[in-house]
Amino acid sequence: MDIILTNYFETGAVILFGVGFATLMLHRNLIKKIIGMNIMDTAIFLFFIAKGYIKGKDAPIIINSFNGVDTYINPIPSALMLTGIVVAVTTTAFALALTIKLYNHYQTVDLEVILRMRGENND
Amino acid sequence: MRKISASLITIILISILLIGVSDLPEFGKENNPSNNILSKTYIENTSKETGAANIVTGIILDYRALDTLMEATVLFSGVTVIILLFKV
Amino acid sequence: MNKDIILKEVGKIIIPLVQLFGIYVIINGHLSPGGGFSGGTVLGTSLIIMHLIYGEDFVKNIYSRKKLLIGISSSLIFYTIIKGYSFLSYELELPHPPLGKLGSILSAGFILPLNIAVGIVVACVFYIIFSIFIKDEV
Repeated sequence: MDIILTNYFETGAVILFGVGFATLMLHRNLIKKIIGMNIMDTAIFLFFIAKGYIKGKDAPIIINSFNGVDTYINPIPSALMLTGIVVAVTTTAFALALTIKLYNHYQTVDLEVILRMRGENND
Repeated sequence: MRKISASLITIILISILLIGVSDLPEFGKENNPSNNILSKTYIENTSKETGAANIVTGIILDYRALDTLMEATVLFSGVTVIILLFKV
Repeated sequence: MNKDIILKEVGKIIIPLVQLFGIYVIINGHLSPGGGFSGGTVLGTSLIIMHLIYGEDFVKNIYSRKKLLIGISSSLIFYTIIKGYSFLSYELELPHPPLGKLGSILSAGFILPLNIAVGIVVACVFYIIFSIFIKDEV
């Protein structure tokens, strides 16, 4: 139970995931839903990159000479999440492009109004 | 009605995930299961075999360069889809 | 009096410095934090600033749409050919560039050309997406 109070990064990442999920479900505007999805992605990156830290060691860059195996943190989670960040940016760009096309066709960005217009028009 | 059920689902989801967080090992200890022999092999052999001083760049551009190729392909396909979507 | 004169004069000084910083972050990718992705973002931001200050026709004369798409495609093909050569050259004992001294720029084999290719891809992608969104057609 006190692991939740001492592991700041993992608890903060889970709470941020919950905040993003609530933003995704509670708002009616499409742009706010896209912002919520981006917040959820950022929470997952924070959770994974924080697994690589070791207390008292420094960043994995060799400055003047190699100091030994035991003086650097784990470099693998940072290297793996670099690909994930780029994929999240591409997904957000694609979602925003679809929102622009929806706005050009229906003249609104409100999800309930769009569903009602599609329902009575049977588009 | 909708707001109450949405908040309830979020609170249930966060509590299930927090039960999972309470089983994690302590943050930043040296003998965590995630600092195993793989990371020690990467730290030890990167500067000898690749010649890069930045270990993360040596991993993503020499040992795992195919992942970076797939990521550049995702960027390229994203631009193609956006151009295709906006053509008249 | 022209209303944008402060922006244009400040932009003449700042935009070359931003591009120089972007090229520095890309080239020193194997010696300090940075690399292809973050340096490519800085270069793409400099193109976006140029579009916002000087208008669309100024950037279209220098970096047209066709040149940017040729830049993306040829960088991706260049990356593929070099990675394929490096992947297959361990068994057949083909020559590869020397490793060099730890800490100098021209070192580490194939890492420097691959960084430059990734940086060009990211910078061109950022500017193309921005220029499509700000005017509602291709």
